[in-house]
Amino acid sequence: MSKLDATDIQGFVLRGYALQFARYMFLEIADPVRGQHFIGRLLNQITTGERWDAGKPDWTLNIAFTHRGLVNLNLPDASLLSFPVEFLQGMKARSAILNDTGKNGPDHWDRVWREGRVDLWLAVNSKTKETLDARCTDLQELMSQTGGATVIGSQDAGALCIDGHWTSKEHFGYTDGFGNPDFLGVERDTQPGQGKLTADGTWVPLATGELLLGYADEAGELPVAPIPHLLANNGTFMVYRKLHQNVSTFRRFLEDKGKLYAGGKEKLASKFIGRWRDGTPVEISPDSPNQEIVKDKQRNVNFTFANDLDGARCPIGAHVRRTNPRDAFGFNGRLVNRRRITRRGLPYGPYVPEGQSVQDDGEHGIIFMALNASLFRQFEFVQQQWVEYGNDARLGNDKDLLLGNHGAQDRYTIQGTEDPRNPPFMCGGLPNFVELRGGDYFFLPSMTALRLIAAGTVDSR
Amino acid sequence: MANQSGNVYGLTILSPILQDTKAETSHNCAIRIKLAGLPRGESSPFAKVSSTHMARLVVMDDVVYVGMPSCEEHLKSQYLVFETNFDGDLETYLARMAREIPAEVDAVWQHCWGYPGVSEVSAFVAYMKKCQVPTTFYFADVNNKTVEQTLRALQAQAAVAEFIERNQGRTTTELQKSFADFVQKLHNTPPPVPGRPGKGGPPRIATKMRWATRSYSNGEVPTPNE
Repeated sequence: MSKLDATDIQGFVLRGYALQFARYMFLEIADPVRGQHFIGRLLNQITTGERWDAGKPDWTLNIAFTHRGLVNLNLPDASLLSFPVEFLQGMKARSAILNDTGKNGPDHWDRVWREGRVDLWLAVNSKTKETLDARCTDLQELMSQTGGATVIGSQDAGALCIDGHWTSKEHFGYTDGFGNPDFLGVERDTQPGQGKLTADGTWVPLATGELLLGYADEAGELPVAPIPHLLANNGTFMVYRKLHQNVSTFRRFLEDKGKLYAGGKEKLASKFIGRWRDGTPVEISPDSPNQEIVKDKQRNVNFTFANDLDGARCPIGAHVRRTNPRDAFGFNGRLVNRRRITRRGLPYGPYVPEGQSVQDDGEHGIIFMALNASLFRQFEFVQQQWVEYGNDARLGNDKDLLLGNHGAQDRYTIQGTEDPRNPPFMCGGLPNFVELRGGDYFFLPSMTALRLIAAGTVDSR
Repeated sequence: MANQSGNVYGLTILSPILQDTKAETSHNCAIRIKLAGLPRGESSPFAKVSSTHMARLVVMDDVVYVGMPSCEEHLKSQYLVFETNFDGDLETYLARMAREIPAEVDAVWQHCWGYPGVSEVSAFVAYMKKCQVPTTFYFADVNNKTVEQTLRALQAQAAVAEFIERNQGRTTTELQKSFADFVQKLHNTPPPVPGRPGKGGPPRIATKMRWATRSYSNGEVPTPNE
């Protein structure tokens, strides 16, 4: 297929901005007509997927809607009812499917998510804190002027600053943000390992319809999308999850188990995720981290599991292997290609250096945002079957070590070899390292669709 | 052979359902009512026939016409579809059904054409074989192990994981001693009960829907989406 119309697609869909500061504002529409007017006034500020030939902008702005938001903006019933059912229901109603129960259950979420009044997600990313504040003040002013919406919640996020340097690390110390898939038509420096695997072992981009509505997906079908097609095309669905991280629990667990594990603490940390904390894939470099590999775009996501089916290098339950099994299930990865999601997460809260005192209830976490054409087929499947269950990987009821909503019986198995530095190891008594604090499902429309919504001219006939 | 995959037998039965326009409850409805009431898990009749890996009973009404360009076709009758994957040979399995769960078999198959009952086992076996069609697909989670071997293996897997966790880091002598004890203990543990779920398992699927509330007029407090 030819290049996508980047001017019609929100920039957030096509690229990770890698700007240091972000604020996500959660809005409630005050009135349908004034709400439409507010969106109309935003239109020329929204960041599209156009190339940044003149360098990165100082700030970006993007917008997405819950189903409630579309209801409150007076979309016609025929359109509202044509959305996929999981989006219609919202993430709270899906909590049983996602195993968002117990401490992760909706009763424990932040107030804004418990109340379920969020209509709109407005995201500002920026190079500086000052720009961020200024842009958000402008937006607040526009809300007051138009009377279209009010802010009922807000979430700051941003890259972690460690030793005075901006990093792509998260609070447990892992370098994050590798391995988003490539899609046909998206202009991007492609890296081997990021698309889908072909029979001859090379990697090619995934079908556009795995990311965007209105294009063929990996099954050659159009993804389930709302009517009319102008509302759907070049849009996508986003899951937003605020994941609190119990940093103290993680560090203590790693310290305690690291003393028992013959490979040592850092190797153990690498076995949890499938990457050393500096980002080196253990599949490529099982014995030590290696910054040369991390920096080499030809290598840092370019690996497969076919020669490691026993998990001797990368444990079968390691996070990167669970959530993107590549060729581990055979069939040249074809069982995986319809389950890929595009992540756009950022940490929140200040980083506490290793060795300093840190509390579980401190403000530490990650805003997990993922984009996909089908929340049901992609995000929900990965969450339910690969994060909260282990049968596809032949791990029975085991869950993802870091993300899992664990019960008292849960354990993490590290497969090993006869090499005394790489022994098998069991981690039992798993605490919940991460707790869900809320979130929802959003529709991220194209610019064309936003114009229709703003004009009140979504025509479902 | 299509019906055999290693030691596992895949049985597919299509039994034509009686059609009686005068019946107060039609036969296909009667089957559905009976099937809906069958217990699952360890109380399932197929847990009693303990060589069963999985079994499924479905009423097939007709082939579905999906519109042009396909042509409209119909089955001659409604069918009871019975699919099962089990260990061992067909006749032994069918005989076990007749002997071990006769009441359940009767309650379902009495609504099918030509069903001879289970009192004469050979007649039941012959009837079922007459209704058999070749199986080409198997339950994906069944490998070439018997039900008991599979349950034993899962039990051993969980126990070994627990053993390693409890003993990792010990000296060789200590380890050998506890391993010998462990093996003895595992050996004496009875096998798990077929159909009894282990701990954990995938999250349950919720079917209850919650819908967003419709928009509200100016000044009114919006109702939370509950």
